[in-house]
Amino acid sequence: MADSPEAIKKHIKLYLLIGVILFICTVLTVAVAKLEFLDFGERGFDHVDATIGLIIATFKATLVALIFMHLNHEKTLIYWLFGFGLFFGFCLMALFGFAFADPIEFKAFFGR
Amino acid sequence: MEIPYVVESRKDTGLNNSKIGIWLFLASEVMLFGGLFSGYVFLRIYADYPWPERTLPVLPGLINTFVLIGSSVTVVFAWVSLKLGQWRKFQVYMAITVICAALFMVLKAVEYSAKFHHQAISMSDYTIIEGHAHPQGGSHEYGAPTKNLNINADSVQINLRRVDDIYYEEMGEQYTKGGFVLANDVALNGGNVLAKGTPISKEIIDQAKEDFLAAVAHNSEIDIELGRRAWAETKARFPGKKYYEVVEAGKTLNQLAAAQIKKLEAQRKDDYRSVTANLTFVSASGSALITVNPYWGKLSNPKEGEKGTLQLKDETLVSGTTADSSIAIAVDGIDFRHTVMKAEEKGIDPAAAVANSWLLKDEQMKLIWDKHQLITAKLAEKLKAKDREPTENDIYRINWQEIAGLMDKDLATLEGMEYEDILALYPGDIEGFAGPKHKKHGDPNSSGVVYPEVVVPRERVRFESLFSPRWNTYYATYFTITGLHGLHVVAGAIVLAYYLFFGRKMYEEKPEWLANRVEVGGLFWHFVDLVWIFLFPILYLM
Repeated sequence: MADSPEAIKKHIKLYLLIGVILFICTVLTVAVAKLEFLDFGERGFDHVDATIGLIIATFKATLVALIFMHLNHEKTLIYWLFGFGLFFGFCLMALFGFAFADPIEFKAFFGR
Repeated sequence: MEIPYVVESRKDTGLNNSKIGIWLFLASEVMLFGGLFSGYVFLRIYADYPWPERTLPVLPGLINTFVLIGSSVTVVFAWVSLKLGQWRKFQVYMAITVICAALFMVLKAVEYSAKFHHQAISMSDYTIIEGHAHPQGGSHEYGAPTKNLNINADSVQINLRRVDDIYYEEMGEQYTKGGFVLANDVALNGGNVLAKGTPISKEIIDQAKEDFLAAVAHNSEIDIELGRRAWAETKARFPGKKYYEVVEAGKTLNQLAAAQIKKLEAQRKDDYRSVTANLTFVSASGSALITVNPYWGKLSNPKEGEKGTLQLKDETLVSGTTADSSIAIAVDGIDFRHTVMKAEEKGIDPAAAVANSWLLKDEQMKLIWDKHQLITAKLAEKLKAKDREPTENDIYRINWQEIAGLMDKDLATLEGMEYEDILALYPGDIEGFAGPKHKKHGDPNSSGVVYPEVVVPRERVRFESLFSPRWNTYYATYFTITGLHGLHVVAGAIVLAYYLFFGRKMYEEKPEWLANRVEVGGLFWHFVDLVWIFLFPILYLM
């Protein structure tokens, strides 16, 4: 991590730039949802809008995590910790899906 | 005690302990919010009702996103300032961060407040009406009951096993006012008698309840003893046998014991205490109006003028004739999507289901619907050129902007207008910042719109609620996730404010320590921002 005053000074412009990008991406997210000519896929909300919205959100979140939270130059242990969090977060999602899965519909998986 | 490795790195991990600590915490937070998001996704996918997509006002959410992103930038700059030894700048940046947190919570409170002052009714034909409910009498006084269940009661039956102090506190005054008295003599164990005609009171209910519970306990003891005796006697006849083994005339030990219990039952009756499970009170004047919030119970027959019973959740039964329990509601939103969904399930023509709905029997509502159909037709025409079609939302949902914007326009005028010109009549996002604004009754200076009112008979109401977690799973998850996120904002703001107001001494003595703590607090703050980055599009735009 950039700890020396000189290194930190170099990053000031980057922090500002990221802030601006985040603002622009937010406006873009709303525009995609609200403006007719930016409404891709079917009219109204559909899976295309969901995908675009989530891609923009993921991009924004990645910028925050990499630059503001300094994950772009962290120690390996931190990646492991955060990685485990994400992994188990997805596991939870899979468990929810599993709970909703229908044993009649998915016979092959659940057996007879 | 000296805490090791607060600032300097450990040799094995290459990190200081505070950083490992905060990242461990953030990893657990990822799982917490990940689980909640998953819950939301699957509730939405498997919802058995039309999901209320894009119903939240976007502007407060958008401003809050800007506020949180801005605060994420300023908290980084606060940390940078400390690293560069600029205390004054640190104070400025941190103060802005804390102000942003406060602003976020204020906007959240405005948003929540609008939801908690907005009602919805799901009708028996699944039409959803949104708006502001008023009391049956038409009074618009603040705090007046808005949608109570009313009954002209001639009797009140108290279930002594279930009766609850909270319910009696809520209802007792009305019972007393209604002049309810005991319908008949009630003999208590020990010789006391509650005489017929005794006015209802908490004291006599408590007395009867105590007697009832003591009698039940006494009788249970006799039953238990009798059961034990029967088992002991039966087992003594067939030593070493298990309860499931056949021991005599094709009967198991268990069956023989049951028969023995029956034999002994005749003996116990003499020892039993009499049990009075209910107290019945009648109104001395014949009947009295009892009114209660639907939260406390339900009407067996909600039709006005017919015999019915109001059943409270503690199983108190208030019987009599149902009084006017209708809900007067100033309508600012209509949604037929659920009606259509149910019609399709039953193989009925959706258009016919909507046309025959109870709501459209009202002339004002019919006019709103006719205008909406006209607009939908214009929209369909416009979309045709782009090879697109109006959505279910476009066709079957009428929002407050449309009702408010077209209130003083008749059908003929709208017919001659272009689609875009009609849209231009709708109020903008600022006018309905957190939702539709209703004009306050009796206040000519109040801004807002007087929305058309309908009176919904109680028997037509399937379910009614504020826009609270009770309304549907969308609002339940919305309040859960945003509420939890809001608590994170408050907690983060407290920590950052602490550094701002009490950090000076540490800055002078150990500036590296303060920088380290601000970095850790900042990491949490960025995470709060990161969660909102997903929350905003998912809840407000999808």
